[in-house]
Amino acid sequence: MSWSLYLPVAGNSINILLLFGLGGAVGFLSGVFGVGGGFLMTPLLIMAGIPSTVAAASDSNQIVAASTSGAYAHYRLGNVDLKMGLFLLIGGVFGGTLGVQLIKVLRSMGNADFVIKITYVVMLGVIGGYMFMESLQALRKKPALEGRRPEPAKVSRYNRFIQSLPYQMRFDKSGVTLSPLLPLILGVFVGILAAIMGVGGGFIMVPVMVYMLRMPMHVVVGTSLFQILFTCINVTIMQAITNFTVDLVLAIILLLGSTLGAQFGVRLSRRLKADQLKILLASIVLIVMVQMLASLIIPPHLMLAHKGGH
Amino acid sequence: MGARSYFGQRLVAVPGLLLILSLPSLAWGASLDLKVFPSQVEIGAFFRGHRVTVEAMIPQGAEAVMEVVGQAGDEHLMRKGREGVLWLNVGEIEFHGAPSLYMVMSTNPKLLEAAAAAEPWGYPALKTRMTLSGLGQDPQRDEFFEQFLKLKESEGLYTTFQEPIKTSPATGGLVPVKGEFQLPTNVRPGRYEVCLSVIQEGRITAKECGELKVMMVGFPAMIATLAYQHGAIYGILAVVIAIITGFAIGFIFKGGGGH
Repeated sequence: MSWSLYLPVAGNSINILLLFGLGGAVGFLSGVFGVGGGFLMTPLLIMAGIPSTVAAASDSNQIVAASTSGAYAHYRLGNVDLKMGLFLLIGGVFGGTLGVQLIKVLRSMGNADFVIKITYVVMLGVIGGYMFMESLQALRKKPALEGRRPEPAKVSRYNRFIQSLPYQMRFDKSGVTLSPLLPLILGVFVGILAAIMGVGGGFIMVPVMVYMLRMPMHVVVGTSLFQILFTCINVTIMQAITNFTVDLVLAIILLLGSTLGAQFGVRLSRRLKADQLKILLASIVLIVMVQMLASLIIPPHLMLAHKGGH
Repeated sequence: MGARSYFGQRLVAVPGLLLILSLPSLAWGASLDLKVFPSQVEIGAFFRGHRVTVEAMIPQGAEAVMEVVGQAGDEHLMRKGREGVLWLNVGEIEFHGAPSLYMVMSTNPKLLEAAAAAEPWGYPALKTRMTLSGLGQDPQRDEFFEQFLKLKESEGLYTTFQEPIKTSPATGGLVPVKGEFQLPTNVRPGRYEVCLSVIQEGRITAKECGELKVMMVGFPAMIATLAYQHGAIYGILAVVIAIITGFAIGFIFKGGGGH
């Protein structure tokens, strides 16, 4: 029996089991960490022979399924802060639109590629490095604090700043009180970065929710998936209309794998502690950063590339 | 066409025909009896590429070059360059007149190795037919053309076959030749020209071309039509399928979830 399947928009045949496996692995990570997995899946698909533009657009489509599955599972567990997610989403859509315009300007100036790649490396490095160090310190401290109630966080300058913002509002699911302006502004910031980097922004949104919105990790994962779901619905429809790059066959195989993987991921996330989750995500982010940095420094095998890839 | 021009063409054609008939190599006739099997390749859901066989008759002592050539078009690519310590896409480069597919083989692989720009076959001939834009300096043209060939070869779309065209014992001064091309899985639907050139003393003395049609059928054709002609419906359908699948999988796992 042939396991090859022809992908009509990608214009190539590929092994079904390979696609299913890729979808499953990335969906698993999506379920565990609440990230869409676009920053992992798209490069993997390109390596498997899918044109970069089709890989990115079809990946958005499969993320819709994985995040539906993951967000639904987290919603049942009470891990989705709909109110917070809505503010982040509004900010994200606005920021995404701004980011697309920014990329247009940079392209006309001829240095878009430089900005995109440097943004990728810096963002992945800063987020991954910070999360890794912070989680490592927390894990080391834990044995000493075992059995005690955690001390209330010190009132830092940042805490004073967020408490000074107007329209303070209670977000029950997250257990925080803050101004809706903060998730709106942070949503804009993540939206701009996501548009520049061409990803859903989950791996930026998760640390933003943890460190800047002070949300508990398990609510962060569910809320992030909820927000990613809407972002990727928008991207999928836009790509299908304007660029004709969504391969439904590719997306269906990936999403079958990723939705199954996401369910297993959600189950594992419940067994892991917040710091363990953070240190694992930080490690993956750092590995992707190193790989990307290496691809920028090592001379390429070919001096020509198709348009659309990072 | 008017009667005058018709007779005018006949007047030019008759001496030409007499000249060709005077060449001993072509004395057996103009047809090479070129056959392409299959002449139509269908891309279905489980397409894994397709083997295409080309058969013809060439005069004894002659060599042959077989080519499969896709429609010429423009390729928009990014060229990489160094900025500081980083390798980045530094500009766009356009290759005009690049065939979507180019496969070549011959009875004597040395013919392809030695193919000079003046010869109408092989990569050097492609180079003369293609133009580049987006490059400031002309010396870089050769370098980027080589890179273009490498890119296309890595994608399986351009190939120079090292295995020669198979020949059988001659009968009546004619040698049956047979070449086999494996169409790659990423071949685009469209019309392809399959040509056989007869080479004697370094010159083409006869050439015949046939057509190979590649088309999508069944499920892939339906999806492609929907994607390219009804983008909005296709996009919404893709999202709906994704959401239903996501919920369905979530619902299935609900039973064993323990929550």
